[in-house]
Amino acid sequence: MTEPRWRLPPIPVLLVGVVLIACAELGGGAMAQFKLELARWARGTMLARPHVHGLVGVRDVDEQILDEALVKLDGGLRLFHLHAEGMGTIIIVTAMVAASLVDRSALRRTIVALITVGGAVYPLGYLLWSGLIPFHGIARGKRLAEWLVWIPFGSAAILAMWLLAAALAAQCIRSVAGRSRVAP
Amino acid sequence: MIRRPTLLIVLAAIATMISAAHAHHVGSYVPRDNPVSANFKQIKFSVQAGKFDVARRLFDEGALRREMQKQAPTLPPGLEASIRGALDARDARTAEAGLMIFFAALVRGLALEADRQLADATAPAAARVAGGGKMLEAIWRYYNLVDFAVSQRDPTAATAVRLAFEEAEGYVKAPTPSPERMRPPLVRIARVLAGVIEASSPSARRDS
Repeated sequence: MTEPRWRLPPIPVLLVGVVLIACAELGGGAMAQFKLELARWARGTMLARPHVHGLVGVRDVDEQILDEALVKLDGGLRLFHLHAEGMGTIIIVTAMVAASLVDRSALRRTIVALITVGGAVYPLGYLLWSGLIPFHGIARGKRLAEWLVWIPFGSAAILAMWLLAAALAAQCIRSVAGRSRVAP
Repeated sequence: MIRRPTLLIVLAAIATMISAAHAHHVGSYVPRDNPVSANFKQIKFSVQAGKFDVARRLFDEGALRREMQKQAPTLPPGLEASIRGALDARDARTAEAGLMIFFAALVRGLALEADRQLADATAPAAARVAGGGKMLEAIWRYYNLVDFAVSQRDPTAATAVRLAFEEAEGYVKAPTPSPERMRPPLVRIARVLAGVIEASSPSARRDS
């Protein structure tokens, strides 16, 4: 009997992917359900911190600043929803490809660990950014989310994909080279 | 020991990854019309289409008239009645002039308020300049709506406002924040627009 070609990734990895997709759906639903409450809370929080947001006390100016922050906050929640959905799928598929096709076990474990941790935490950066906007403003909130989440965990996910691509390319080259040696 | 090419490849890979992770997009923001500017556009387009009854209804029920009533002490007397009369008389030019005066007055008020805030030495210079920049954005959002009308009636004033605006904007972008240098162009905007309001106000038109 031949060994099955596709292998399931480890159960915890599958769970992480599925939970992330569930969080994305939950986040999307909550975002629509509590849109008004969220906007009201964010507006109140920002009005309590006029210096953070550069509010000048003139309605024609401040309304635009508040509107931009609210649009960005909403955008952050939408991007969390989108990225969590996408990264959940990417974690499952990448881990499955690595589990099935990467020969070296240490490399396989590294790829699976990097894509699971990187892929699962990266979308949370958007959630963090949205949460930081009312307290720290758009730009500072973005900088914090970047250095705390997007750069380290996004890099981990990208590194996993590169390693997987490199491992598959190396195996492909080895297999072609092996076949050409066997051929008469 | 790691060979030099390998090390270079690893470093290049890390640099690429960080720049890729750094380059995530977070969406862009396009400033939206506020109720006053949106109502102005509705009225203007209705007038341009010759639908004066629609323009009159939009004027009577819209945010622009409410704001006009709120700003009444800073506006020339009889402005609201003049616009309403022009809409009833299907006089597009007078209606447009009335709306121009209203926005010119809003811009003048913003310019004076920006000057007052820039003069407040208790706040840090950088914060004053940043606030001034936001005020300039608001000034331009309103002035842009009536720039054409102003330039048709008083091209010199329109040019003076645009030049003063650009000068003030230049100080916002300057590497060292200098709120004091931003003040003269803002005062100039207020002074020029006060002249435009004076020359175009209903009482001035009656007198001419």
